Amino acid sequence: MEEGKFLSWLKNDGDFVQEGEPLFALESDKAAQEVESIDRGILRIPITTPRPGDIVKVGQVLGYLLAEGETAPATESPAPALAATPPPQKAAATSAPTPAPIALPTPAKASATEMPLRASPRARRAAAQHGIELATVPPGGSTGRIRERDVLSALPEVEPGIAKDGFTKLPVTPLRRTIAARLMHSRQTTVPVTLTTRCEADTLLGFRKQLKAEAETAHLAIVPSLNDLLVKLTAAALKSHRMLAATWSDDALLLPETTHLGIAVDTPTGLVVPVIRNADTSTLTEIALQSQKLIAAARAGQLAGSDMQGACFTLSNLGSFGIEAFTPVINPPESAILGIGTVVREAVPLEGGSFAARQRLTLSLTFDHRVNDGAAAARFLQTLTHLIEHPLLALV
Amino acid sequence: MTSTDKTSPLELYRTMLVIRMVEERLAKSHQRGLIPGACHTYVGQEAIATGVCAHLDTEDAVFSTHRGHGHALAKGMDPGELVAELYARETGCSRGRGGSMHLFSPEIGMMGTSGIVAPCILQAAGAGYSSLVTKSRRVGVAFFGDGATNNGAFFEGLNMATIWKLPVLFVCENNQFATEVPFSTVAGNDSVAGRGAACGIRSVELDGNDVLAVEAAARQAVARARNGEGPTLLECKTYRTRPHAEGMGDFTYRTREEVEQWKTKCPLARLKHHLLTHNLASAAEISAVEEAVAAQTEAAHLFAEKSAYPAPETATLHVYSEPRPGPHREAPPSEPGTRELTFMKATWEALSEEMARDPKIFVLGEGIGERGGNFATTTGLFALHGPERVRDTPICERGFVGLAGGAAMTGTRPVVDFMFADFVLDAVGEIINQIAKMQYMSSGRIKMPVVLRGCIGIGHSAATHHSGSYYSMYAHFPGLRVVVPSTPRDAKGLLKTALTGNDPVLFLEHRELMTLKGPVPEEEYYIDFGKAAVVRAGTDVTVVALALMVQKTLQACEPLATEGISVELIDPRTVSPLDVETILQSVAKTGRLLIVDEDFAHCGVSSEIAAQLADRGFDDLDAPIRRLNGKPSPTPYSPTLEAAVVPNPESIAHAIRALCAE
Ligand SMILES: Cc1ncc(C[n+]2csc(CCOP(=O)(O)OP(=O)(O)O)c2C)c(N)n1
Ligand SMILES: [Mg+2]
Repeated sequence: MEEGKFLSWLKNDGDFVQEGEPLFALESDKAAQEVESIDRGILRIPITTPRPGDIVKVGQVLGYLLAEGETAPATESPAPALAATPPPQKAAATSAPTPAPIALPTPAKASATEMPLRASPRARRAAAQHGIELATVPPGGSTGRIRERDVLSALPEVEPGIAKDGFTKLPVTPLRRTIAARLMHSRQTTVPVTLTTRCEADTLLGFRKQLKAEAETAHLAIVPSLNDLLVKLTAAALKSHRMLAATWSDDALLLPETTHLGIAVDTPTGLVVPVIRNADTSTLTEIALQSQKLIAAARAGQLAGSDMQGACFTLSNLGSFGIEAFTPVINPPESAILGIGTVVREAVPLEGGSFAARQRLTLSLTFDHRVNDGAAAARFLQTLTHLIEHPLLALV
Repeated sequence: MTSTDKTSPLELYRTMLVIRMVEERLAKSHQRGLIPGACHTYVGQEAIATGVCAHLDTEDAVFSTHRGHGHALAKGMDPGELVAELYARETGCSRGRGGSMHLFSPEIGMMGTSGIVAPCILQAAGAGYSSLVTKSRRVGVAFFGDGATNNGAFFEGLNMATIWKLPVLFVCENNQFATEVPFSTVAGNDSVAGRGAACGIRSVELDGNDVLAVEAAARQAVARARNGEGPTLLECKTYRTRPHAEGMGDFTYRTREEVEQWKTKCPLARLKHHLLTHNLASAAEISAVEEAVAAQTEAAHLFAEKSAYPAPETATLHVYSEPRPGPHREAPPSEPGTRELTFMKATWEALSEEMARDPKIFVLGEGIGERGGNFATTTGLFALHGPERVRDTPICERGFVGLAGGAAMTGTRPVVDFMFADFVLDAVGEIINQIAKMQYMSSGRIKMPVVLRGCIGIGHSAATHHSGSYYSMYAHFPGLRVVVPSTPRDAKGLLKTALTGNDPVLFLEHRELMTLKGPVPEEEYYIDFGKAAVVRAGTDVTVVALALMVQKTLQACEPLATEGISVELIDPRTVSPLDVETILQSVAKTGRLLIVDEDFAHCGVSSEIAAQLADRGFDDLDAPIRRLNGKPSPTPYSPTLEAAVVPNPESIAHAIRALCAE
């Protein structure tokens, strides 16, 4: 490539630009590409900058990245608009005393016919998988070799809303792909069975109400949610039913020494499962603080990989959607997951023939039958039900 | 003892005749092309093996040389097995893996002939050492030529046997030539017995062509050995009347007349004459023996010729002993409260636990006795186990490594403590030619549980004779295990595995890690070889590092994390076997591989890892494999120079950044 069509600036005059941020768009021989900034600084777009659609040459100065307090060279005038510098490999460093000119970078394939295409084996594999022509992929690294990440970012975006062959194609996000792979893995490697049971929640909800009422006077750091309470009680129930926390490995059943519990969180991009550490030994407040932090990070898309690892059991709550019972999918390598349904008010027969209104919720436990039999899972549910109905027991 | 008395004159005659007739048959077969390799005959020297072995029991251990057919037959090897081995057949005593110079039959105490002149002397001392440790009555015997007495192994072996009063016979077959070189021209003192006396060993010179004289001397020497009176050197003067090896010319260095003259002193003819003149056997009895041996020889030849060649697919069998059955063993995870020990203390615990459990383990080294070792490797163990099991050695690295090899061959478990691995280089021949190859040469019938431990690595201005790495060199050779731990926890578990396995292990401990503290679980554990540790999980780049470089890389990882670079750090822990699988899996995830190795880049473990990954992980690579190594130079002394030849956290971080930017 010796020249290209300038499409637009992707940053505004005066913006602070970081290394690696897309700076301007350019159309080369075959494809449009976003050119990333190799330096950092304050963007100064001169009046001589090309207009969208202008042809620009390799090495031509398009703008400047300035350090704090630095000004663009005064030599610029409308006349030498195409005052091209020799083609640099990179834009100059920010520490240079003179402002760093932003120029059209020289791609590795400067004279397309002579230089062989340079791409990593991994990039070639990715290109083959996605059916993309490597020659259309702009290289991004320090060596001019096309990397896998260059191929992935050059994939044509599926434009939402464009109907084709009777379908509207939507892009598959990386998170969606991960969710799909994990769920498929779960389906293929576990023997899931789901049990459901109902329990009375009046005491528990009353307990929570009390916490809420006294939060201020008791100087509580946070009011635990119903979910936090259920995390605490589940951890307590797992204490006497360790096998529900076991992992199947080919030559042994692995019992975890810690009780970290996953909580399924719905986010704008999809489902994630951050992990509450040591739910068995943490106080309710500690659990509530952990979950508050994790849920906020999840919603902001800021969970670290380690935030989502190490659980031995997961809780999934669809109660807020009015769902009563469901069949949650096990999150391997765990071997069981608890689904929590919505709280419903029901008429419950009392002794003597009258009825009373009670709040109740449904628990749906999916477990891997390789690890536990139905009776063992049922006994776990019994214990948990008892704890929900007598939450004080978790304190002793 | 068997029903026939091997020491009776007629039996001595029979044994010598078996050797003579079988070798005359072999000489013919060599001409006919039935023997694809070398064939050194013993013709003229038969009285020595015969007279000595007449006093040995099956469990007594014989170590021999390139001229060993006579020793094997006299020790009781079936002639068919011997001939079949020379004919390279599956039924041969070494299953076709050895030929004339590698005859093994440990079942009858024939611990091997050797293509290397002199190590047998050290190995026989090692067998004697085993008897000391296990309090058995077994005697070690070395047969060797005059040529071997100019080798350091002779002096080192004799000295060790003497100072420790080992039950050993050193039998020198002085046939006056080493190939074509007359002994008198290469020996300042050409009395082998005189040389022995100078080492303080009881030394006897005798007529090696007189089987009765040899038998009498051996009787006394074996009795002394069994009585705990120590070793004996027998110098048996003799002459071989065939060329050095079949097919070689014989008269460039000696005359026909001289050879003819010695043929008149033929030990068989002499004994036959003695039998007849002293009425010890009748002519009829003698010819009955001669006919029987001729038939036995012919049968051996026919058996060998009919036997199958070994199957090609078995060519690499027995390089290592059988792997331990069962799943991989690993250390229990260290919980926050786990106690912390130094690297030194962790390996000390491994050694002391295993020594308490297994009385066959003993330690050799300089200053490891009462003093407890330069790096406190044996502190307190001398007081517990005594000098036999915690032994201060003379400064003869080659000698005590050779001895350790012989001890391992005869059932004990030597641990050689070198202080610094640089010192081991004096013993490399013993390690590579003997210890590493022994299991294979004996087709898996001899085990080699030898642990060779010492410090490696640059630091402390130790300069170039106390700072080498060497693991790449050892890992190159099939038959050795090479362990290079980076934490106290790994060091303990890996050493315990080394001390209980059956393969020879180089256990190399980085000097700069000696005082590193880390969690070491209290409960007993073992870590099997060949499984890398993922020291730190990451997503952007895989770094493989060994020993101290693991710790240095860890230091680089934290600042990199704040820059958004997530490093996956892998410590192979053992260089042989090398866990390529774990590295492949990691690179499949990250696409980038940096190998950080203090050892030189060229022809080293880093080149091996790079080659394996390029070979098996090619499509996963998103950038070239990069390496950061120690500079290819001897280690300098001055701290400024020393620091310039090894990677450090800054240079490691720099290399990681550069690779991630590619
Ligand atoms: C360490 C070593 N050096 C050299 C040789 C080559 N070599 C084989 S036999 C031999 C002569 C050995 O002489 P001697 O020990 O007297 O035994 P002889 O052959 O006389 O029985 C030599 C030099 C060898 N095998 N090993
Ligand atoms: Mg000789």
